Amino acid sequence: MRLGRVFDDRTRRVVTSEVYRRSRDVRGGLFRVLLQIALLVALLVLAILLVDTVTDGWSILDGRLGDFLAGGLRSQSGDPELGVFQGIRGSLWIAVFVIVLAFPLGIGAAIYLEEYAPKSRLTSFIDLNIRNLAGVPSVVYGLLGLAIFVRGLKDLTGGQSVTAAGITLAVLVLPIVIITSAEAIRAVPQSLREAGYGAGATKWEVIRTQVLPYAAPGILTGTLLSLSRAIGEAAPLILVGAVTGFLGGQSGLVDVSQLQERFTALPIVITEWVQESGRDRGFAPAAAAAIVVMLVVVLLLNSAAILLRNHFEKKR
Amino acid sequence: MATTGRRGTWPGAILCVLTLLAAACGGGSGGGSAFGLAERPESSLDPGESADTGASAAGEGGAQVLTDLSGRVTISGSSTVEPISVRVAELFRDVAPDVSVTVDGPGTGDGFKLFCAGETDISDASRRIKDAEAEACAEAGIEWIELRVAIDGIAVLANLENDAVDCLSFEDLYAIVGPESVGFTNWRDAGSLAAELGSSTSFPDLALDITAPGAESGTYDSFIEIVLEHIGEARAEAGAISEDEAATTRPDYVSAGDDNVIIQGIDGSRGSFGWVGFAFTGDAEVKLLEIDDGDGCVAATPDSIAAGDYPVSRSLYIYVNSARAAASTAVSAYVDFYVSETGLGRAVSDVGYVVLTDDAQATTVAGWYRRTIGG
Repeated sequence: MRLGRVFDDRTRRVVTSEVYRRSRDVRGGLFRVLLQIALLVALLVLAILLVDTVTDGWSILDGRLGDFLAGGLRSQSGDPELGVFQGIRGSLWIAVFVIVLAFPLGIGAAIYLEEYAPKSRLTSFIDLNIRNLAGVPSVVYGLLGLAIFVRGLKDLTGGQSVTAAGITLAVLVLPIVIITSAEAIRAVPQSLREAGYGAGATKWEVIRTQVLPYAAPGILTGTLLSLSRAIGEAAPLILVGAVTGFLGGQSGLVDVSQLQERFTALPIVITEWVQESGRDRGFAPAAAAAIVVMLVVVLLLNSAAILLRNHFEKKR
Repeated sequence: MATTGRRGTWPGAILCVLTLLAAACGGGSGGGSAFGLAERPESSLDPGESADTGASAAGEGGAQVLTDLSGRVTISGSSTVEPISVRVAELFRDVAPDVSVTVDGPGTGDGFKLFCAGETDISDASRRIKDAEAEACAEAGIEWIELRVAIDGIAVLANLENDAVDCLSFEDLYAIVGPESVGFTNWRDAGSLAAELGSSTSFPDLALDITAPGAESGTYDSFIEIVLEHIGEARAEAGAISEDEAATTRPDYVSAGDDNVIIQGIDGSRGSFGWVGFAFTGDAEVKLLEIDDGDGCVAATPDSIAAGDYPVSRSLYIYVNSARAAASTAVSAYVDFYVSETGLGRAVSDVGYVVLTDDAQATTVAGWYRRTIGG
């Protein structure tokens, strides 16, 4: 009590100043400002890129968007049939192959690794290798695709076809799908599984009714982000034989009979037009407009991922 | 950019289009060519016949429709020639909508690899086939028809603000980028070597920044072949450099595969130097240097290139697999169309290259209709 009285006013002063002395916390404030600058720089670069691209491509996006979305590869930038349809077609078919091949295989492998595989040296070795595969440059996957899917399995894929490209990119994103799915499954609380077993459920029932629904949002986010990655890749497609000049005799978005035919894709179209802009300046806005189209396609896919994730999150 | 107004002045090949299209609409083409004409009579190559009708036929080259013609044409090769083949394919689509033409442009060398492996019907080339490539084709049993389709000048570039240099000789070019120029960082350095080679051009005191095509490019090969090689060989004989170095450039410059990057490089420095295909200069903000090959300074213009006055120019070719052309009416019809006025004239000028002279076009047409195997 005596002590309290002695320190009463002083303590109050000290405590008050400690609590309200934000202005004196110079280093904390500085750190905060630095973090804000980091965020601002990142956003600013993105904003500049976006504004620059949209401005460059505006003459086409504003003037002839319909024709541009329906057109194909052309020799002159002034051609009214110049457009990205052939690119969109190729990219969407690649997406279909990734969804059909990489997603079930990748998620299946992840379930096995996390739920069934014994924790042995072999599984940790496999795990390490999958992580390494995810870091392999995409050109290497292009070489793999050229050797196996274009040359080796020519009868199946038809050589330099959209099928070969789709399978190559499915293989490219497979490790990423496995890793993200495995991480989502690992994040499921052990208590959920134990409760399931306690209630008499079998392993399969626990996985189906408890683990997968809980992990679904994480799995979906990861897999659909890997789909965006597959759509943005150009290097492997060049090796697999995407066409840069002219692609005749093709029509329709869903003509299955053309799966063994030559193809092109959005990133290839963009690369080609940027190069052609040296010869014909008009290709520069076309390339910018194609970039905007590709951004929109990728953003649509990402927002589909977010919607699906929210849907599953509500369910759990 | 390219020469216009040639349409009425070239009756020989124009007449050929007329005859061919007429034969095609007469129906029932069963021969080796889509148009039922494997070989054309010599006389129709002679100039001076029915120029007016010919001109109108060429003008409506896309009006005839061969709906019963279908098949595939696969083309690969030089990225320089790619736009011409694409333009021809676009115009050909109006004539034969069911023929599916694919054009790719990985480069002349890669194109010949595919061509001699039998994977393509036609190979675009920004130079003539090399002996080694011709041997590979011969081993695979592939015979080809060489057709010259256009001319591409190589523009030698400097920065727009470089007032000190207007015209260079081949010796000057050798002194700037030849194998003996390694380490030259100032135009003056090259000046002393040029003087040694007998040039009287005065070089400015400016930092020398070279941005030019790399070894993978056809434009690089052509530049060495046209400009550097014979000086290099003379220097090798004189003992100044080794034999291996005769047909090379200095390795220490910024090499770019993308012509756009080269233009940017030239624009970016006051003392810049480089070269690029004439078609790629378009409205670029660079200075095109005049070139003196002993006959005075000549500027690069469509006219001077077509006439062969501008010394740094090269021919562009297509190589046709003759067995494929005989077997596929789609392939032969496409080449028929390529060597017509619509192809060699309109398509070439549409994409910014220099149209061949009338005589050179007639040679191409004759080479195709006689199916002349080999160069």
